[in-house]
Amino acid sequence: MAMVREVAWRVFASEYNSSTMEIKGEGEKAPSYVVTPLGAMVNRMFIVGLLTDLQNLGTEQEPYWRALLSDGMSKYYLFAGKYNPEATVVLSKIEPPAYVAVVGKSRTYSPEEGKIFVSVRPEKIVVVDESVRDNWVLETARSTLKRIDCVEEAMQMESPTMEDLAKLGYHQALADGVVRALPHYKEVDLNRYRGMVLEALEQLLPERSGDLPIPTDAPSAGPEEIDDEQEDEDKEELVLKLIDKLDKNKKGAPLAELIKEAAKAGIGEPELEEINNSLLDKGLIYEPTIGKMKRI
Amino acid sequence: MNKEEIAPHVKEIARVLEGKVKEQEIEKDLDNYLNVYRMSLEASKRHIVRKYGGDPNALTKGERKMLSQLGLSEQSVDLLVRVMSSNTREVVVGGTPKTIQSGLLADEAGNTVKFTVWDVSKADLKAGENYLIRYAYTKEWSGQPEVHLGNRVVIEQRPQDEVKVPDTVIVPQTGSYSAPVTAKVSELKENMNNITFTGRVLALRSKEVETPSGKKAMFTGIIADETGKVEFTAWHDFGLKENEVITVTNAYVKGWKGIPRLSFGERGQVTRPKLKFPTNEELSQAVRKSIEDLERSGGASDVVLAGTVVDIKKGTGLIFRCPECNRVVQKGVCQVHGKVQQVPDLRIKIVVDDGSAAITAVMKREVTERLTGVTLKEALDEARETMDPEVIGHRFEEKLLAKPIELRGNVISDDYGLSMNVSEAKLVIPDVKTEAEALLAKIEVI
Repeated sequence: MAMVREVAWRVFASEYNSSTMEIKGEGEKAPSYVVTPLGAMVNRMFIVGLLTDLQNLGTEQEPYWRALLSDGMSKYYLFAGKYNPEATVVLSKIEPPAYVAVVGKSRTYSPEEGKIFVSVRPEKIVVVDESVRDNWVLETARSTLKRIDCVEEAMQMESPTMEDLAKLGYHQALADGVVRALPHYKEVDLNRYRGMVLEALEQLLPERSGDLPIPTDAPSAGPEEIDDEQEDEDKEELVLKLIDKLDKNKKGAPLAELIKEAAKAGIGEPELEEINNSLLDKGLIYEPTIGKMKRI
Repeated sequence: MNKEEIAPHVKEIARVLEGKVKEQEIEKDLDNYLNVYRMSLEASKRHIVRKYGGDPNALTKGERKMLSQLGLSEQSVDLLVRVMSSNTREVVVGGTPKTIQSGLLADEAGNTVKFTVWDVSKADLKAGENYLIRYAYTKEWSGQPEVHLGNRVVIEQRPQDEVKVPDTVIVPQTGSYSAPVTAKVSELKENMNNITFTGRVLALRSKEVETPSGKKAMFTGIIADETGKVEFTAWHDFGLKENEVITVTNAYVKGWKGIPRLSFGERGQVTRPKLKFPTNEELSQAVRKSIEDLERSGGASDVVLAGTVVDIKKGTGLIFRCPECNRVVQKGVCQVHGKVQQVPDLRIKIVVDDGSAAITAVMKREVTERLTGVTLKEALDEARETMDPEVIGHRFEEKLLAKPIELRGNVISDDYGLSMNVSEAKLVIPDVKTEAEALLAKIEVI
């Protein structure tokens, strides 16, 4: 049997990073897979997101790049070195923040027994525009929903097999992954992932945010302060202005100074943190390095 | 194992115990051994038989299967079947005459399979009777499994009510032994036979061929239904006309690299049913398929698919070909014809992936020029200017990588997976907002 190309899975960072299961390929050239809680058997993946942070952990001569790629909710960790020459060359020319598309391979790092950190080793990277990103969010939302459905079906079966799920119309690779994932992850909180999909779709429909359905019995996100919405937006506007003002060397506004300035405007530290998080979520600011905030 | 999977094994144990123990009892025991104590199926069965004083060696060692589960080269398999037809005849094997039996078996699910008995003293299958056949084997015949009963076989006649064959199973009088199947284009697969098919003739050509019995007219063309198009060959003059809707019986499928071709001849019949059928114009559109669909069917003529460009293969961009054999040459040297006067050409080879499956797509010059807006002449000029023939490939990569794309063409499959010979390609800008709204509406319903 010749090697058939591994499909490029579409998986949001939060799902991918929650993976604690790996199938190591045995023997020469046998592929390895990261199995996500929703049963994606990821060897290759396709990601489009905002490259927010880029650091060369290697040397000038032999760069080893670490990049953070945000899908608007969570971040993927990318590592590229001398074995990924094509991606390394492209990375060295990118100025964050930028929307990039990545085709890459799943990688794991296990510092101790039972602990797994997942990352992505890019094969190809290219700078793209917002429409490519939006399309990716849609596709990824769609395929995440399909996985949620498949896991839900499998949970209702006594002892689901690949054939049972394939019969329901799920792709064989997904059926295979779900059957493997279920005994490992046991009770997967599907509502958490439904909530994630809703949040992703919300990014595509900004005018709808606020009246999105919260899935029933989803963990509540805390009391909503709908009346204060206008006030919140004013405060966000204010913080953005402060960030602009404090970003003197174009490397971001130091958080310590931002806290001081915000306090003068009557915004306490906990409130500032909330505003910053909201701005981060909206993709209006990012953290180029820890402790700095910068406008996008 | 669930109840359904356990059932045939419960029957098997009950058979060995000759009715001494109720099936419910056996089922409870077997479920316990398998699902509570997690013992192997084989060991569980032996334990239960021994527990009730039966002979564990009487259990079959072959695997009990339904006919639909039969592989093409089963070594030892057990079947519970009804004999639909059985004929005994003399054949000469290695110079000595031998009596063999052949016919058709059916099971409760309504599937059928041809069989041959090679030693009539071991097994004499009578039409209309039910049998448990143990230690049979299968061989491939025209892509389908055929059951063989050799000298190891053990048969046991079973009561009439044990196998009830659905009424839909018909035993054909002549020709093909398998039951007729009604199929749509999307269901056609290599090596199917005895198909009943209804479609509209979109294109028709006649050809004269030489046969041992003189010149003969044959007809080829394209026939379509709402699920797609398929090429066909008619080995007999049925008076076919373009644009008419026909129903063909006893057709069969031959394929080339997964692209099915419908064939029918004198054994088939052509009728012209009066029914509402999609028009020529509707059927001429390429049918939209997901890459996953194509993976399942193995290939198709004239389909449209969508996905994202996830890789650009070597050999994309400006290439040079041998004028003799059309092979791609490196530095003006053809691996067959040596130093040649190379001919420039444009080509794109990409991998398109929709998150469920991937396909390799190849575009020749015209398609490449239309997609990229770069003509061969411009590509040559640019390569000359920059002294770098690779520059065109890089430009195509930048333009295409990570972009949503829509492709039309013929799809084949081989050991390396699916590939498409592209006739039309275009980058698409999906209407993300509308689709996101639709997706949201779907979640809200749940």
